[in-house]
Amino acid sequence: MGIRWTVLIAAAAAIIAVAVSQPGASAGPVFTKDGSLVLPSGFRKWIFMGGPITPNALNNGKAPFPEFHDVYIELENFRYYQKYGKFPEGTVLVKELALTQPGKYPDGSVDSASGRGYFPSALHGIDVMVKDSKRFGNTNDWGFFTFGHHALPYDSTAKLMPAGQCAFCHIAGVAKTDMVWVQYYPLLRAQLQ
Amino acid sequence: MQKKQHLTVTLTGIAAIGVFVALLCSAPVPAQTEPSAAVFTSDGRLKVPTGFRRWVFVGAPLTPNGLNNGKANFPEYHNVYIQAQNVDAYLKTGEFPEGTVIVKELTRLLNPTFPDGSRFEPSGHGFFNGEFNGIDATVKDSKRFAKTNGWGFFTFGHHPEPYAATAAESPAETCAGCHAANVAKTDMTWVQFYPLLHERTGQLSWDTPQSR
Repeated sequence: MGIRWTVLIAAAAAIIAVAVSQPGASAGPVFTKDGSLVLPSGFRKWIFMGGPITPNALNNGKAPFPEFHDVYIELENFRYYQKYGKFPEGTVLVKELALTQPGKYPDGSVDSASGRGYFPSALHGIDVMVKDSKRFGNTNDWGFFTFGHHALPYDSTAKLMPAGQCAFCHIAGVAKTDMVWVQYYPLLRAQLQ
Repeated sequence: MQKKQHLTVTLTGIAAIGVFVALLCSAPVPAQTEPSAAVFTSDGRLKVPTGFRRWVFVGAPLTPNGLNNGKANFPEYHNVYIQAQNVDAYLKTGEFPEGTVIVKELTRLLNPTFPDGSRFEPSGHGFFNGEFNGIDATVKDSKRFAKTNGWGFFTFGHHPEPYAATAAESPAETCAGCHAANVAKTDMTWVQFYPLLHERTGQLSWDTPQSR
């Protein structure tokens, strides 16, 4: 009896130890009862994939996404993409916007010690996409949300955007690469060090 | 009876090792406990930092070749990474701890169609990341680099991968001089270009933005 109990207790302890200390376990998306998405937390410690820039000055003063688009993904979802070429259920991609420093030239660029160009200034909003084939089967398994394009603080929850606002453009442009503009993200074309 | 007790002790021991190994294998975020990512060779060269693409991204200035007479000093995106514990320390104290490594990885622009390097994409007219194009790194070590405000500067090449495996310290006038002239007051770092550092928003949980 002593042996059996010892083995049982030890096995249980081992299982609990693994469960409790599981690293980087993805919390995944969190939804409210009415289907709104809760603002993802901790994403600035996720993997940075890339940062397109669409300056207001090059977009008639009003870029649809002003102006830096810094895109983050969790490590395990990035690894999955590397292996399978698509993202797993529950993947959350966060795009945090940042304005550029005030421009000196008509194109919005400015001179700095490192050269003429564009430099981040204030954080300016968040858009999120979530992969969930049951919830978002009508839009190629991804749901799109925006928490505002403005300075902090952001909205704490966001409703699903109409398909005509976000999903349609992803479907038209990148349906073949799991609805993600992988061509803009060097990491998805390279190995993570 | 004695044999049975012995077996019990043995099994308990094995189980204890099992638990220990399980804990070790699943230890959370080792970066939090690493003293420094800077590794030097015996002759003082810095080894190319590893794992930095998993560090915290703090910002990405862009100096397109097309806006810099075809030859930007840092072509063209400058993606800057810092380990989380060093971001924590900076936001708390206003300076970086000894051993801090800051990595700047360059990328070229994606298929420019205009002279400035920009192109049209569905999200608008702008600039998009092309291929990786080199690494510069700074290391804070007040003894080693006392002559240049406590920071040493290194470049592993401005070109596509693979990068150089090690780098000698760059001469003071090549890198440190410009940092000392412009950003000596902010610990030799251009924090004005890194929203996470200069906005100091949500200092207690900077990894998550403030919401209402």
